[in-house]
Amino acid sequence: MSGLSRMRGALARGVLRLVPAGRRDWVAAVWAEAGEVPPGWRRLAWRAGGVRLVARETLQRRTTGVTLLFAAAAALAVWAAWPGSPAGFATSVDLADVITVVVLLGTLALATRRLFGPAGGGRTAKFLRIAVYAAILALIPAKNVVEQVLDAPPRGGIDLRLYRLISGPGFGNHWKNEILFLAVMALYAMAILWLTSQRARLAPATLVIGTVAGGALGVAWYVVGPLGFGGAPATNPWLPGSDVAPFMVLAVILLFAAPIAAMVAAGMRYTAPARGRIRQVVAAGLLTSLTGALLATVSGTGTIAAMLSAPWLRDWLYRDHQLAGVAGLQLLLRGNPAALAYSHQITAATDAPPFLIICVVFPLVALALAGLGSLGLAASVPGQPAAQTEVPGGDLSSGVASAT
Amino acid sequence: MATRSRLSAQTLSVLAALREEPSQWHHGYALAKLTGLKSGTLYPILIRLADRGLVEACWQDEPQPGRPRRHLYRVTADGLAAAAPVAQAESARPGTRVTPTGRAVVRRALS
Repeated sequence: MSGLSRMRGALARGVLRLVPAGRRDWVAAVWAEAGEVPPGWRRLAWRAGGVRLVARETLQRRTTGVTLLFAAAAALAVWAAWPGSPAGFATSVDLADVITVVVLLGTLALATRRLFGPAGGGRTAKFLRIAVYAAILALIPAKNVVEQVLDAPPRGGIDLRLYRLISGPGFGNHWKNEILFLAVMALYAMAILWLTSQRARLAPATLVIGTVAGGALGVAWYVVGPLGFGGAPATNPWLPGSDVAPFMVLAVILLFAAPIAAMVAAGMRYTAPARGRIRQVVAAGLLTSLTGALLATVSGTGTIAAMLSAPWLRDWLYRDHQLAGVAGLQLLLRGNPAALAYSHQITAATDAPPFLIICVVFPLVALALAGLGSLGLAASVPGQPAAQTEVPGGDLSSGVASAT
Repeated sequence: MATRSRLSAQTLSVLAALREEPSQWHHGYALAKLTGLKSGTLYPILIRLADRGLVEACWQDEPQPGRPRRHLYRVTADGLAAAAPVAQAESARPGTRVTPTGRAVVRRALS
């Protein structure tokens, strides 16, 4: 079989997959019948009818709306994130980010539907899926704005990129960081698709608890993030002369408290059976960390991107803010407005990369807490082996019934 | 069927074509030639008729060498019963196509 034939076969199989299972025979029938039609325009018209049938049947699927929504959001993200600046490292990174994320999200949605089944857990599951996909797509243009600033030529004669703080691990433009970022986003999307799938058998209440707790965690870390991650003082007009340390303390407490609270709440809502309860508890903690980290990352990076694009916002938030660890910077910048503006830009931009650390650390913390919690929960049910207490075929209804 | 059916003249023409030789299996292209319908119109009609149990469909058992298996269609007993008023309307007025009255009768039979 030639390469062209193989490609045609693969394309036909791909097109058939768009059509609902019960209608695929009909599309195949039109294609098979085309061989009986005299070649030329008639056969072409016959095949065009087959394409019409595919379009008609595909558009009648319930998932078509979601597919179109994703396509529109992906197109918007590509339009917003596509780099227009001259070629450079940041441009290559931006292109790789945009293309990889869109392909990744689309592929994961299709693959996980086969592996995990469709969305379960009611409206919250669907909302979570849409929100997480929208968040990841929105993150790309914001991240690309930051990348462009980090890679931009310095102004005012001072190349702040030379400082080790910026060029060190986690801050510099390194492909390994990009690969890590894309892998983390893929894991996030996959984890959310799993947690919201029918196969995960999570109660809607568990999803709600995890989302709400994650929202609180995300907001706390968002407040800390763009206003001076790392403890540098921010000139907030409502807190004159104070730095963000109190917020940082609160955020660190919430990093542990939010997943624990979610796990406790999920465990109280879902009382039976034992193994199902452990699943709800672990999922609530993990979901809290995932949604919290993603919310903080997207809103934080988005705010930083807005600051980089809007000088008034940047100058307001970063008026006296300077790069942590760069001694004597104010002296260097004195009387050099271009260098000062550049320092504000690069200071804001360097606050973005640590969000990747948040995305990695938060789920690890939640998994550790969830592991401890599930061990405690398993030990508290003496004489009831978890595997024997689960109702075959799903315990969601019984668990929810007992919880409500 | 509880839902109200909407049978177009094209749908009725497909039923009429199948009714000509009710025991025979028909190919899509043959039906297209008999009815003058394009594939993009014919197949959605066949799908609707099959969904309502008026037409049955199957794949050819023994395809011709070098050719793909073909999909075959045959009118069912329900389909014949549904098409009977159309046949009566046509025989009462030879030389004419399906009348609005006959169409209404078929609609009632299918609804």
